[in-house]
Amino acid sequence: MIPELYGRVGVLVLFGIVFPAIPLIASYAFYMLKLRPENPDPVKSATYECGVEAEGNAWGQFNARYYLFALGFVIFDVEVVFLYPWAVEHLSLNTDALFKAGIFVGVLAFGLAYAWRRRALDWR
Amino acid sequence: MNSTLRQGRRRPAAKVPLGLMIVGAVFALGFLAVNAAIGYVVIDGRLDGQWYDIRDLGIAVEELKVQLDAINDDQPSFLDDIVGQHWMSYAVGALLGAIGILSFIGGALLALIWIERRLIGRMQIRRGPNRVGPYGLLQPVADAVKLIQKEVLMPDGADRILFLLPPAIIFVPMMAAWGPVPWAPQMAYLDINVGVLYLIAVSSLTTLAVFLAGWASNNHYALLGSMRTVAMMISYEIPLSIALLSVVLITGSMQLSEIVQWQADHNLWLAALLPIAMLTYFFSSTAELNRTPNDIAEAESEIVAGFHTEYSGMKFGLFYAVELGNALLVATLVATFFLGGWSLFGLEEWIPGYLILFAKLSAAYFVLVWLRGTLPRFRLDQLMRFAWQYLIPLSLFNLIIVAVEASLLARWDAPGLVSLGLFTIVNWGAAYILFRDWARRIGYQPDAGGPRRAELTQQVGGIEAAHRMGTAT
Repeated sequence: MIPELYGRVGVLVLFGIVFPAIPLIASYAFYMLKLRPENPDPVKSATYECGVEAEGNAWGQFNARYYLFALGFVIFDVEVVFLYPWAVEHLSLNTDALFKAGIFVGVLAFGLAYAWRRRALDWR
Repeated sequence: MNSTLRQGRRRPAAKVPLGLMIVGAVFALGFLAVNAAIGYVVIDGRLDGQWYDIRDLGIAVEELKVQLDAINDDQPSFLDDIVGQHWMSYAVGALLGAIGILSFIGGALLALIWIERRLIGRMQIRRGPNRVGPYGLLQPVADAVKLIQKEVLMPDGADRILFLLPPAIIFVPMMAAWGPVPWAPQMAYLDINVGVLYLIAVSSLTTLAVFLAGWASNNHYALLGSMRTVAMMISYEIPLSIALLSVVLITGSMQLSEIVQWQADHNLWLAALLPIAMLTYFFSSTAELNRTPNDIAEAESEIVAGFHTEYSGMKFGLFYAVELGNALLVATLVATFFLGGWSLFGLEEWIPGYLILFAKLSAAYFVLVWLRGTLPRFRLDQLMRFAWQYLIPLSLFNLIIVAVEASLLARWDAPGLVSLGLFTIVNWGAAYILFRDWARRIGYQPDAGGPRRAELTQQVGGIEAAHRMGTAT
């Protein structure tokens, strides 16, 4: 029964694409009917930076601080997803599983403490 | 100062027009008459099945399915093999549910824009929109019309294809995340047994569309805004998942309808049992919304409008609509996970479940608006610290506590009142100690004498005083 349910996700996704498309198409139709303006000029379609002319390209190197947080996120989120099957099943497991999950969370917490100690969690 | 304020001329209170009163009275009488007719037919026993049962639309859909299957049996089709069941009832059920969800979101979006702006206006001692239509009710429609008529700009430096994609695809995760919400006992569109995981997976897809928007604009402000959004969203994703993990631990299921059923069976909202999980979930999901206390991604005073700086006209309107829709979704999920969903201590026998859920999600949404109206914007480093050094350690502690409690609950043969009552007291104590002491541990020092009240607002007396001064319009 379960795999069939995912067809419904497809219907929702389809609606999620069609629903925002309606106002966009309406906006385009207004343009075709000359109900809305469309007069681009070089100044208007320049990159908006509060009136100052844009200096260079935005597609360059970026701050490396984000990298540390992304790394932390990957580790934590993957581990948390591993905990979900245990959370569902733990009522039928014996006490052993609780301690093992405790060790798992402990290792996770140790990693967090290590990152904290190395000042990886400070936004400097 | 007070006396000068009070001397202003007093405006008469707004009157309800007579026409509106007559229409309302006619509507109420008609509603009563229809209800009486339905009640008469039901008591009379003329309707055998459960067709008339509007408390749970799932029952009506089941009935429709049986009839469709009967038609389907006469004309078998190759589509049956693909879907694995009768294709007709499958397609009709899916379409009906999706249309229902879509129309709920559409209607709620129109209403919410007005409600939110009025509420924020009240909180900021002004009126909010009150010009277009009665009480300004048509303001959202006017906004939509204005946005459709506006010129759509395409910046020269942007990546043309990637620039057009985000407004179109940002709706998809929001729509898909509405699927597993249980509206009534049998009324869930997508009752999958991995509902919680599905929600986490789908809702984090928004990040991609936001990043795409910022990247494709080729604008420094937009890129900064989208990088901030990504950093914040992935940081708050972790406490959010751990908070939901403790919900799964206690209820033993990832299916949203089962989680609500557990709360209905035990007559206990998880907000009472798991205060840390609820507050963590609420804080983290408000951070993911990009709304005012946490809207560093589109902080007007710093980076213009963040990731949608270059978007104008209807494309901006879509970003705005998705933001509101996500706020509504968060309110719904808080109501479902922690406030009992469609259950209300036995009253769900009499009141339709979706109305109860709607009341609860409105309450949760009001808290979101309240936060937006009162709190100032946080800085990026404050937000990141709050996630990594406060919420994540707290939710890990909470996870351990809840895991031990859940194991005890499975083995201890005590009545629910004793065990769950004890756990509730323990959890509230733990919440108080952890929230207070961990904040001090990472360096929060409360001001002596507590926070100061906003004196000016109190002296002036809010919107009443504005009334007296005759300046409120």
